[in-house]
Amino acid sequence: MLNDLALETAVRAPLPLPVAAPEVATQEDCLARAGVCRLLAGAFIEEPSAAFIDALRQPESLHSLEEAGLHFEKDFTAPDTAALYEALSIEYSTLFTASGGFPPVESVRLTGRYQQEPLFAVKETYKRAGFELGKGRFFVFEDQLGVELTFIAGLLERCAAALGAGDPAEYRRQERELKRFWTVHLGKWVRGYARLIERAAEHSFYREMARLLGDFAEAEIFALRLRIDDQDKGRLVVPKSEVKVEFNPDEPVCGACPGSK
Amino acid sequence: MEMPKVTRRTFLKVSAGTTAAAAAAPRLLNAMEHELGGKDFNPETLAERKAIPVNCHVCNIQDGAIAFVENGRVVKLEGNPEHVSTRGRLCAKGNAGMWYSYDPDRILYPLKRVGARGEGKWKRITWDEALAEVAQKLDAALKEDPNTIMLKYGRNRTGGTIDRFMKTLGSATVVNHTSVCESSKKIGMEPTWGPDIETPDFANTKYVLNFGSNVLEASYFHNPLSQRVTEGRVDNHMKIVTFDVRLSNTAGFSDEWIPVFPGTDGAVALAMGHVILRDNLQDSDFIETWTNVSVKDLKEHYRQFTPEWASKISGVPAETIERIAREFALTKPATLFTYRGPAKHLYGSYNEKACMMLPIMTGNIETRGGYCLPRGMGWPQPGPQPGKPAKDSYLSHPPDYPLAGHKVSHLVPFWIAEGKQKINVYFTYQDNPVYTNPGARAVWGKLFKDEKLLPYIVSMSSHMGEETALADIILPDCPYLERWEPESMPNSLWPWLGIRQPVHASLGESRENRILLRDIIHKLDPDGKRGMKQYWNFKDAEDYMKQHFDNIPGLKEAGGLEFLKKHGCWPIYGKLDPKTGKVTDKTGREIKADYGLHKKELADADMAGAVVGKDGVISKNGKAIGVKRNGKNYVGFPTGNRIINIRVDQWAEYGFNPMPTFKRIPWHETMKEDEMILSTFKLNVHKQSRTAAVKWLAEIAHSNPAWMNPATAKKLGVKTGDLVRIETRVGHMVTKAYVTEGIHPKVVSIPTAFGHWEYGRLATLKLKDKPAYGGTEDPDLQNVWWDDRGVHPNDIIPVVADPIGGSQGWYDTVAKVTKAGPNDKYGDIEASWEKHVEAFKETMRYAYTGDLHRKMHPEMAAWGGPASVKHKEGGGH
Repeated sequence: MLNDLALETAVRAPLPLPVAAPEVATQEDCLARAGVCRLLAGAFIEEPSAAFIDALRQPESLHSLEEAGLHFEKDFTAPDTAALYEALSIEYSTLFTASGGFPPVESVRLTGRYQQEPLFAVKETYKRAGFELGKGRFFVFEDQLGVELTFIAGLLERCAAALGAGDPAEYRRQERELKRFWTVHLGKWVRGYARLIERAAEHSFYREMARLLGDFAEAEIFALRLRIDDQDKGRLVVPKSEVKVEFNPDEPVCGACPGSK
Repeated sequence: MEMPKVTRRTFLKVSAGTTAAAAAAPRLLNAMEHELGGKDFNPETLAERKAIPVNCHVCNIQDGAIAFVENGRVVKLEGNPEHVSTRGRLCAKGNAGMWYSYDPDRILYPLKRVGARGEGKWKRITWDEALAEVAQKLDAALKEDPNTIMLKYGRNRTGGTIDRFMKTLGSATVVNHTSVCESSKKIGMEPTWGPDIETPDFANTKYVLNFGSNVLEASYFHNPLSQRVTEGRVDNHMKIVTFDVRLSNTAGFSDEWIPVFPGTDGAVALAMGHVILRDNLQDSDFIETWTNVSVKDLKEHYRQFTPEWASKISGVPAETIERIAREFALTKPATLFTYRGPAKHLYGSYNEKACMMLPIMTGNIETRGGYCLPRGMGWPQPGPQPGKPAKDSYLSHPPDYPLAGHKVSHLVPFWIAEGKQKINVYFTYQDNPVYTNPGARAVWGKLFKDEKLLPYIVSMSSHMGEETALADIILPDCPYLERWEPESMPNSLWPWLGIRQPVHASLGESRENRILLRDIIHKLDPDGKRGMKQYWNFKDAEDYMKQHFDNIPGLKEAGGLEFLKKHGCWPIYGKLDPKTGKVTDKTGREIKADYGLHKKELADADMAGAVVGKDGVISKNGKAIGVKRNGKNYVGFPTGNRIINIRVDQWAEYGFNPMPTFKRIPWHETMKEDEMILSTFKLNVHKQSRTAAVKWLAEIAHSNPAWMNPATAKKLGVKTGDLVRIETRVGHMVTKAYVTEGIHPKVVSIPTAFGHWEYGRLATLKLKDKPAYGGTEDPDLQNVWWDDRGVHPNDIIPVVADPIGGSQGWYDTVAKVTKAGPNDKYGDIEASWEKHVEAFKETMRYAYTGDLHRKMHPEMAAWGGPASVKHKEGGGH
């Protein structure tokens, strides 16, 4: 969906292994991390297609995911593709697109509203880096989780290409962009948000993919030696003491609130 | 050191002597706020923000607004200084309007229900899938009967698109929301003088009688009119007297607040008329020239309405009625304004009529500072246009309410349940009766959940309101800042045309209404063979607007739609003076309104071929175009006979009193000592149902305790914050009390717009108790410091229908209020469909076909009964 105008990189088969970036990355390592990003993007950018579901339920895929610590339940392994597609579509809508859900969109997670500063910032970044958003089955915002993951994947693939071409300067340039994007965008919200999905999801597919998302983000941020505050936090309840207001929230307003005289 | 020759004393002298010259010196550098808007700058980069003029549509006042856009998003909204009515000012609601667009609970994709109705399980589908499904349902309904397709709208500002859609389908089943709004005000006025609303010239008047309107906060047209009320008070030293059950901010601003027993404003107005006519303070010349009754007949008719009679009913002292009546009649100019207070009762139309009689009998009609006709503008519809549906619809034109020209929508669920009309497909647009109507969940909620009565519900909505949550399919509409719409509102003495235009592309896959309706028709009739597609031949919504606006004389020369895109409204009457806040002409003087519209003389060309009847009515081609008075050919009033009909003969045909009158609400007469009237009201930061999710507004007002008088509270042993149980004939609720002197002792009053169970996270505060959905990590929810979302009273308000105007009697409910018991919890609500049905049957008894009609109208003993009424052919919308 997010196309790399420079490389026109073909979508690769997912390599679902959460691998931490070593100090000196290899081409293979970059491609593996890109594969995880694309896998996660496939889970969150829109309702998973039948082809995606089938590919993911291949024994070798399931095996590698299991090795990575993911435990899908029968709701994912047992139904036929059509039934699973229907169930995941409904779960996706409930979690991410229907009113009352939590849109996987950076603007919403960090500002509480659609189409705010993060959206325009990532658009600028994509443009500068030579990416453009293509058309999927549904409209997506540029700061949607799946698109941001696709961008990370694209950068990792560029890193791999640079390493393959023996161009360390280009590799460093792409890695700087990668670190910057984690720091300025994805890293700010994806960890807490992943924990939130993990708790809220009723289907084991989304619960486990959210776990993978969180683990991957933690590993990447650590391996890239970044220090990024998790601004999303993913807590169930925000203590009232942490509510930031410019007045006394206990002050009676209407005279009828509890505690008023 | 030598003292300077020029000292500060010198400066003082110089300044005092050169004031005029200094004032005349050019001032090229002004503080930005002196510009009174129109421009905005980023505080960090100082870059000027893109300004896009629109018409506000948070509520329906239609203020001129400017959206300041930066980086593709609206960062600020403020008033459009070129708009003659609102003159650069927006209210709190208008300032917060952008949060509709960016609300995280906004619906951005077509959604199909997958669980039980109301279960909250949805599946996102493509537009193609959605349109195909809707078209298939419509196709099946069309085969049975086009009228089985129903569309009910709340706020329809599409400029004709909704009607076009339903006419294209051949269905007459179009139902609005007006009966829960102000329909009996409209019906009280229309047969009398033509239009459905007045424009009081507050700025230039000396005296205002305000019956039941909260014009400074909520009523039509609160922003533009409240500006003029303030000007009248400050610049013109006018007096304002407010009759209201509650000390609203308008009542508080008034010279006198006179609490009146609910539903008795009409009696007070009639008694004031009695005093005016008794003391010969009327404008006899106006009455004799411009109305259909004589002064003699009017005096005779009003003799019965004594101040003592009204005092007994209303609780207003007779001497107060006498005094206010004389003040009103002897102060020129004087005006009057009403809103829901008089109109939302069983006989609200009579009340409204009684009130408007006061400016009529004192000749304050169409005068500077008086009670003026509304000024609006129209626009042509794109051609070709579909014709009227072949058959009329029971639900659109219920035969028991033949005078209710604005329909009786709040009785629709009962008629559907009775099988009066079958519905196969139900469309809803900007409406939310499950929340806003009497009975709410217990009535409309039950209807919406019943798949036999409503087999397929299509909601065209940008938000998950209470009714949308019960739909089968949701087609995501755009909030107002992303739509094209034509506008005109008579909200000042200067007519104007305006537009809404998208300030940026619509978010997600939402489509504005005229586009999604077009897409449905194109799906139904892809090749045009069904004859439907021809009415929906426009490239896009802007193209549709061009067809509205590019050929209007005057606007066309100014640039048509392009002018409106740049300025937001037309015409531009002058420039907003930053010192006075008024619109001035080229000479710097405030622009003047035209008065005496009825006294415009017909041109010779108009009179060519016209015929003057014995009564002076000038007709041409079978249509009254004016009236001859005192030898002159005047345009007159926009009624069938071009004069004011104090006597409405059409009412008499159905056994209603054609003259100004008052009917006491029977169940108010038999109230017990411990019973009260339950009324509702709106606050300045909310509209009926669609603002609870708007950030900023929800923070300002989010809970709604029940107002009650200290005397009442004392009897009940209740203080502010205590829980009270409010019980009506259809159910009960438990809420908090707010004890204040600002309410009539026999009234308990609750503001609406609160207590939502749908409409997103801010409205429901669901995320506070159910974190599984949405997550409290929404940064704005971290700022939600309140836990109280209020309690909605509509479940326990029974239906009442004015047999003339069709209005809901919102303020007629008798309630028993007690201190809450040990088992009562805050927010408890219980209401029963069966009891609501009983209330429906009871109110139908007052219809002209009902058994109580005659009893309520002994003065119409000569009426021949329902059988004497000739059936009038209906049809169309």
